[in-house]
Amino acid sequence: MKDVLRILISPVVWLASFSAVYALHGFVCELDPGNSEIGISWIRIVLVAAFLFAAALQIVLLTLMYSPRFGSAPGFARSVSRASGWVGLVATVWTLFPTLAISTCAG
Amino acid sequence: MNALARHRKLTAIWSSEPGWKGWFSTVNHSDVGRMFIVTAAFHFLVGGILAMLIRAQLATPHSAFAGPEIYSQLFTMHGTIMMFLFAIPMIEGLAIYLLPKMLGTRDLAYPRLTAYGYWCYFFGGAMLLISLLFGIAPDSGWFMYPPLTGRIHSPGINTDFWLIGITFVEISAICAAVEFTVSILKYRAPGMTLAKMPVFAWYMLVVSLMILTGFPPLILGSILLELERAFGMPFFQVELGGDSLLWQHLFWLFGHPEVYIIFLPAAGMVSTILPVMSSTTLLGYRWVVAAAVALAILSFGLWVHHMFTTGIPHMGLAFFSAASTLVAVPTAVQVFAWIGTMWKGSPTLRLPMLHILGFFVTFVIGGLTGVMVAVVPFDWQVHDTAFVTAHLHYVLFGGFVFPVLAGIYYWLPLVTGNRRFFRLGEMAFALIFLGFHVTFLAMHWVGLMGQRRRISTYLPEDGWTVINLISSVGGFVMAFGLTLVLIGILLNLAVRHRARRNPWRSGTLEWAIPRPSAAYNFASLPQVNSREPLWDNPVLPAELARGDGYLGDAATGRRESLMVDIATGKPEQLVIYPANTRLPVILAAVTGVFFVSLLVKIYVITPFAIAAVAALGWRWVWQLGSRQDLGDQPIGHGVLIPPIAEVSRPPGWWGSVFLLVANATLFGSLLFGYAFLWTIAPGWPPPAFMEPSLPTMLAAAGGVMLAAGGTAIAVRKNQNGSNPAVAISAALTGALGLVVAFAMMLWNAPPAAEHAYNATIVVLGSYGLFHATLTSLMVLFLLARQRAGYISQRRRGELSIVMVWAIYLFVVTGLIILAVYLPGLVG
Repeated sequence: MKDVLRILISPVVWLASFSAVYALHGFVCELDPGNSEIGISWIRIVLVAAFLFAAALQIVLLTLMYSPRFGSAPGFARSVSRASGWVGLVATVWTLFPTLAISTCAG
Repeated sequence: MNALARHRKLTAIWSSEPGWKGWFSTVNHSDVGRMFIVTAAFHFLVGGILAMLIRAQLATPHSAFAGPEIYSQLFTMHGTIMMFLFAIPMIEGLAIYLLPKMLGTRDLAYPRLTAYGYWCYFFGGAMLLISLLFGIAPDSGWFMYPPLTGRIHSPGINTDFWLIGITFVEISAICAAVEFTVSILKYRAPGMTLAKMPVFAWYMLVVSLMILTGFPPLILGSILLELERAFGMPFFQVELGGDSLLWQHLFWLFGHPEVYIIFLPAAGMVSTILPVMSSTTLLGYRWVVAAAVALAILSFGLWVHHMFTTGIPHMGLAFFSAASTLVAVPTAVQVFAWIGTMWKGSPTLRLPMLHILGFFVTFVIGGLTGVMVAVVPFDWQVHDTAFVTAHLHYVLFGGFVFPVLAGIYYWLPLVTGNRRFFRLGEMAFALIFLGFHVTFLAMHWVGLMGQRRRISTYLPEDGWTVINLISSVGGFVMAFGLTLVLIGILLNLAVRHRARRNPWRSGTLEWAIPRPSAAYNFASLPQVNSREPLWDNPVLPAELARGDGYLGDAATGRRESLMVDIATGKPEQLVIYPANTRLPVILAAVTGVFFVSLLVKIYVITPFAIAAVAALGWRWVWQLGSRQDLGDQPIGHGVLIPPIAEVSRPPGWWGSVFLLVANATLFGSLLFGYAFLWTIAPGWPPPAFMEPSLPTMLAAAGGVMLAAGGTAIAVRKNQNGSNPAVAISAALTGALGLVVAFAMMLWNAPPAAEHAYNATIVVLGSYGLFHATLTSLMVLFLLARQRAGYISQRRRGELSIVMVWAIYLFVVTGLIILAVYLPGLVG
C-alpha cells in the first residue's frame, strides 16, 4: 500500500494545494484587505506566498521520492513514484503561476 | 482428480442456478458482468434512438417532428442515458467480467455487492425509462442547472426522476468502485506484483479511485437539490442565502472527472489490445501507468473550465485554463506510447485494430478541440453552441465507443467461445467511422456559425439548414453501422464456429481459461512471474486445468480464492466466498422502495423502507464468518495461510476504508458547499447563528469518546484473550448517546426553509445522526456476534471493521460540532 501511496501523493498534494489556492483566492478577494506598504496588494502577496509554499511542498515530496529512506525500492514503483513526483511539481508551477501575472480579483 | 472431474466439481460449486431463476440469485462475476453489459447495451440502443429523434428534428428548419417540451426530454434523456446508464455501466460490466480473469483469480472481492450494484442499476435505470415512456422524463439538460431545475421553474416530477433515479444508479457505481479497488489491490494471482499487473488493471484501479472521489459531489448536489424541491431548503435560491453556482461547482466537480472516468478504461483497453495486435509489448509501461495516474488526478482540477462564462475573476479563469491545457500532456504520453508500440511491433489490420485506429483519429481531434475550448476567449465565443456538443462527442464517442467496440470484438471469443463467421464487422466499422465524422464535423461547423445547443428548431435564414441535414444523414449512417455491430454479435452467439484458445496469441491470463469461460475461471490459480505469463509458459492453461497451481484441490466444496500482499503478491489470506443468494436483488428492490417513496412523496413508507434495508443488511453480514477457528489452511505447494475471518484486515476492512474515502469526499463536499455559500453567496451572514448548546456538545463529546474508545478497548481485550463484551457495551452506550446528541441538535435547529445556513445546519446534523445510528447498529451487531460465538481471539476481523467506522464517526462528529456551533460561539 505504501508504494501506491508514494505514486499518488504528489499529484494528490497538487490537487489539494490547487483547490486551496483557488479557495483562498475567493476568500481574500471577498475580504479585500487593500495594499501593503510596498505598494503590492495583500491579495497578491498572500496568493504568491501560497503558490511558493505549494511549490516548496512539491520539492520536498520529490526529494523524498529520490531519498533511499523514504523512496520505493528500485524498480517499477520507484520509477512511477518519481515520475508522478515530477508531475506534481510541474503541475503546481504551471497551474499556480497565474498568481504572479494575472490581475487578482477583476472579473 | 483428473482435469475433467475437477472441471465438473468446480462448475457444480461455482455456477449459478439453472434457468431464469439463476439471474436473480447469481453472484458470479461472469454472470453479473454479462448482465451489466447487456443492460448497458440496451440503454445504448434507447439513447441512440433518442439521438436519431433529435437529428430528425434538427434535419430541417421549422421542424414540427417534436414540440419543445418533448424535444427537451429527448436531449436530456439522451445525455443522461448515455452518460449514466450506458458508459459507466458498460465499463463496470466489462471490468466485472474481465478483471478476475486478467488478475488470475476466481471472483471479485464482494460477489454479493456486485449483484446488488447491478440490481440498483437495473431498478434505477428502469425508473428513468418509465418516466420517458410516460412523457414525464427529466427535461432540463443532463446537467440540471438550477434555478431552471428549482421548484418554481420545474414544478413537475420530471426533475425528481433525474435526481432520485441517478442517485439510485450511482450506488451501483460506488459499489463497483469499492469492489474494483479492493480486488485489484488484494485479489490477484500469487506472484503478481504491482509491476506485473496487466495494464488494464492499473487503469481500472485509477478509475475506481476516481469514482470514489468524483461521484460523491454529484450525489451530494442531487440530495441538496431534492431537499430544496421537496422541503424548500434553499441551497440554490439566492434570495434565501443560497447560490445556483453551488450546483455548478458540485456538478462539475463530478462532471469533468467523469469524462476521464469514461475515457481511461477505454484507454486501458487500447493499451491491452494494441500490443497484441502489433505482436509486441506495450512501449513504456511505467510511463503509461504514470500518465494514467497523472491524468486522473489532474482531471479533478479542471471543473471550473465548464464555468468560464459565469463571471469568475481573471485569475480564477487562468488557474483552470492552465490546468486544462496541462491535461493534454499525460494524454499525449499515452498516445505516443501507443504509436511507439505500433512502431516497434508488426501491426496487423484485424477488426479490433480498425476500431483502435478509428479511436486515434477521432480522439486526437476531440483532444485538440479540447485545447481550443480550454482557451478562455475562444470558450466565451463557442460556449453553449453546437461546437461544444461536437467536441464532447469526439471525446466520448472517439475515446470510449471505438475502444469498447475494439474490446468487444477482441474478447468476444472468450465470452461466446465462437469466432466470427460473417464479416459484417468491417462494413460496420466503415459506416460508423464515416457516419460519425460526417455528423460531428458538421456539428462543429454549425456551432461556429452560432447554432446554440438544445434549440428545438431554427429559421431558414439562419443558414444552418444544409449543414444540419448533412449532420442528420451522417447520424443515420452511423446508426446503421451500429446496428450491423449488434447483428454481428448476435450471429456470433448463434452460429457455432468454435474459436481456438487464445486466438490473438495474447500473453495475459484471461486467455488461459476455458472458452467460453468457466464459472470458476481457473481450475487452479497460477503463480505469475511476468506481465505476459502465457508467453512465458504456453502450456500454462493445461497445467492449471490439471490443478498444478494453488487451490487445485476442490475437495472442500467451498468457493475459494486468495488474497495477496499488495506489493509482492505473496498469498496472505484464504477467501471463502458466499454462495448464490437472492439477497442482493431483494435488498436492491427494498432500496428502490426507499427511493420511490421519496419520488412520489409518500414519506410514510420511507422509514419502513429504511428499517427493511437495515434488517436485510444485518442478515447480509450475519451470513459471513464462522463459529469455530479453522486455523491456517493449505492452499497447495506446501503453503498455509489463515482464512479471512482470522486476520485483522479482512475484505470488509478494506472495503470499509475505501467506502469511507467516498463518504469523506461527500462530507468534504458538504463543508465546501457551506464555505462557498458563506464566502460567495449574497445574503450572508444569516440573520442569526445557531446558539451553542452545552448539553448537546457534552453529550456529543462523551458519546463519541465512549463509542470510539470502547471499540478500541474491545479490540485490545480481544487481542489479549479477554472477553470484550463490556467494552462493546460501553461503545454501544456511547454511540446511542451520540444519536441523542445529534437528535437534540436537529430539534434545536432553526427552520430549514428560511435560510441556506439553517438548511446546511440541518443537513450536517442529519449526516451526524445517520452515522451515529449506523455505528450504533454496527456495535450492536458486534455484541450479538460475540454472544453467538462468531468472535474469538483469532476471529477478530469484525472488531477491526467496526473500529474503522468508529474512528470515522469520531472525526466527523468533531467537525460537525465545530461547523455548527463555532459561528455562534465567536459571532
